[in-house]
Amino acid sequence: MSFITDKQTLDDLNITGKFKQHSIFSLFNDTKTSGGEKLLEQLFLHPLTDAAAINSRSQVLQFFHQRALVFPFNIEILQEAETYLSAGTSGAYPIVALGLLQKRILQLAIRDEQFEQLKKGVLATIKLLATLQDFVEQTAKESNWPAMEQFDTIKQLFSDHRMKWLQEARNQSSPALLQLARYDHIMRHVLRDEMEAVLQFIYHLDVYIAVTNVARARNFHYAQALPNEQAVFRTTALWHPALEKAVANPLHLHEEQNVLFLTGANMAGKSTFMKSLGIAVYLAHMGFPVAAKDLVFSVRDGLYTSINVSDNLNLGYSHFYAEVLRVKKVAEEVASGKDLVVIFDELFKGTNVKDAYDATLAVTQEFVAYRNSFFVISTHIIEVGETLRETCNNLQFSYLPTIMEGSVPRYPYTLTPGISNDRHGMLIIQNEKILEMIQ
Amino acid sequence: MIFTTDKQTLEDLNIFGKHGGDSIYNIFNRCITRGGAAVLEEMFRYPLASHEAINKRVSIIQSLAQRNLSFPFKGSDFDAADTYLANTDERSKLVQHEQSMARKLTNMIAMDIDTQLIYKGVESLMALMKKAQEFVNELNSIDGLHETSTEMLAILNDPAFAAVYQHKGKLSHAQIAELDVILRFQQRTAVEKLLRHIFYLDAYLSIARVASERRFAFAQALPAESHDLLRLQGVYHPLVKNAVPNNIHITADNNVIFLTGANMAGKSTFMKSVSIAMYLAHAGFPVAAQQMQFAVLDGAYTTINLPDNLGMGASHFYAEVLRLKKVAQELSSKNLFVVFDELFRGTNVKDAYEATIAVTTAFAKKKKSIFVISTHIIEAGSVLKENCNNIQFVYLPTRMKGNTPEYTYTLEQGITADRHGMVIINNEKILDILRNGKKKSTTTTGYELHH
Repeated sequence: MSFITDKQTLDDLNITGKFKQHSIFSLFNDTKTSGGEKLLEQLFLHPLTDAAAINSRSQVLQFFHQRALVFPFNIEILQEAETYLSAGTSGAYPIVALGLLQKRILQLAIRDEQFEQLKKGVLATIKLLATLQDFVEQTAKESNWPAMEQFDTIKQLFSDHRMKWLQEARNQSSPALLQLARYDHIMRHVLRDEMEAVLQFIYHLDVYIAVTNVARARNFHYAQALPNEQAVFRTTALWHPALEKAVANPLHLHEEQNVLFLTGANMAGKSTFMKSLGIAVYLAHMGFPVAAKDLVFSVRDGLYTSINVSDNLNLGYSHFYAEVLRVKKVAEEVASGKDLVVIFDELFKGTNVKDAYDATLAVTQEFVAYRNSFFVISTHIIEVGETLRETCNNLQFSYLPTIMEGSVPRYPYTLTPGISNDRHGMLIIQNEKILEMIQ
Repeated sequence: MIFTTDKQTLEDLNIFGKHGGDSIYNIFNRCITRGGAAVLEEMFRYPLASHEAINKRVSIIQSLAQRNLSFPFKGSDFDAADTYLANTDERSKLVQHEQSMARKLTNMIAMDIDTQLIYKGVESLMALMKKAQEFVNELNSIDGLHETSTEMLAILNDPAFAAVYQHKGKLSHAQIAELDVILRFQQRTAVEKLLRHIFYLDAYLSIARVASERRFAFAQALPAESHDLLRLQGVYHPLVKNAVPNNIHITADNNVIFLTGANMAGKSTFMKSVSIAMYLAHAGFPVAAQQMQFAVLDGAYTTINLPDNLGMGASHFYAEVLRLKKVAQELSSKNLFVVFDELFRGTNVKDAYEATIAVTTAFAKKKKSIFVISTHIIEAGSVLKENCNNIQFVYLPTRMKGNTPEYTYTLEQGITADRHGMVIINNEKILDILRNGKKKSTTTTGYELHH
């Protein structure tokens, strides 16, 4: 089963999107090859829901992270080899040899370029294999690779007797016609599937190296996945991966306290905190490095956020209705028994304070009964929190404070336990001396 | 003094609209000439702030509407004249006599563009002036247009233009060259003045036509600081189909309107209807109502669809406060028409309650301005009732038919607690879905970490 999420969630968190500025994908997309980029895209589209698979990918990445490897291949040679390998050749060696001979004659007679191109492709692929062989031997010698099926396949390939020719081939700069034909036959026919595996392995290398380079440069950490029987999400420091000077906050959600009720003024950083959490959950399910320290999490079935519900107050009622439909969708998913992470920022802001109060209270009270999912709900209507504190016992209350320095608000962005008592509304009105101005 | 307003108000009321969408301006813009449309826009942008000026414009439009006159000129003539007059380069004058063989030959094949434009411009202007001669007599008897028609006649009958009326039929090159000098250079100011008058007529006639077609009413402006501030009968939103009309009467004794009602009950539409009527009335335009009388105010500020700029980090509440501050500043020296829809929705209930009371109480002390304030915080209403004696409480009702709300859109006196946020949530059965869902009763507590 794949990790469930939807377009709005991906948009809220700005996760996918190659051409979107500051998307999490482009943050990690330091890949050198187009195959690597495609692979990275696939990884982003399909987070995992199996703790073992997540942890094993995470371990592979951690290995690369510690080793600080450099992508060993020359991009031009790789591209030439890709083009060469993508075309097929005949199954029978004599026909391959004859075809090659024909091309050679054409080259001599009418300066046909096919022969030269083929030769270049063969040589590039040989060079690529040679680099890979060296890289694999070098790396394997130094330390143990993590359990990685692909790596074993490649190691086996190089010890295969069908690859013996590589030792003689890698030192020849200009092989004879019949030798060329033999290499061509081996690479594009005999070892066709193996060559495909080699390319795939190179793409994986590309992705692992790119991702861990980013993680190292930005000081990301690796998460530990727990099976989904437990419900836990714990980190000692969580921040937003795309922000330069993000403030980190600890967070611990578990079965007894699976709901975080977040309050604070609008500019205090509620949305950023919620996005940080959403992104960490998503990346952690990919087995990727996260902008969080010591993250331990139980695998969930999916993630739903409602953060940037477009702030179009002009739509009035229809905006409220859109929010209701969004909540309904999530409610159906939660009710179906799935383990989810649900993030609602400023629910029902499209309506008046009183309706928002009633609706937030009623919906939150129902949601919190689902102990197997995590909920983070923010609102500026602090009265909801006070009522919830009395009726439910599995809520954590945190707020992002505003510190008034004279009449200038300052935001420390540090999560503080409790419900915000920032009643700056009247204070701001008094500071602006509006009432005096009217009278 | 001029009538002041701002971008937020114009956008709230959709006075100009965006990118050719429906707007109040578009309702009235039936102008045939571009110049007329520009004049109309100018009238729209700068409403008047004296009751004499307003009543004068009203009477002009009203009598034009009664006469059912139509604009007699051809729009294309103005376009040609426009391009023609825009060319002020002396060197482009047509040369009278130098009609060389070569020039004649070229002109036979194809006249060069510049000359063509001049020919066309001269001919169009002549046509316009001849038409104006006929039309101006009809205007003379119209109230308020006497001055205009006299001025127009003076220009038209100026001996300098004698040549314009003499020539008939196809003009020779020499004749056109002669007229070109008169129209484009010697009498340029007079020609432009004449056109300006015609543009005004175009705008007035366009408004008059819309007024009769849509049966809009002409408002009566009272001098500023009258006791009666506004009396509106059958006011409705001109852009809403099948809009329900409402009546409202505001005097200095009840100049604060405290409006309550559910979300869909029509609060915003009502506030917009009244605001648009006020705006149009101050521009001397007919209004979407049966009858209207109003004391002239110095400006209008509405806050109906206030956008918050979260991208820039400013909260909705802060945007509201800044808006309030701006209005408060303006109120210190002016009598205004002020509208606030759903004040303080970007804050918590308690702050919203306190702020609504504080601000409304402060507003209530300004008895020469009109305030329309909508809110869901009905508790504020009862406090305000005790605090101030000049608040008028009205509401737009919701009738529940089973689970479906129905709206009358008709204003009633009092305060209502109608809300139906929860009705919508209940209709969508969200709470039921959650109540009947599969809740896992996991009993595992604690967990192990693997390293």
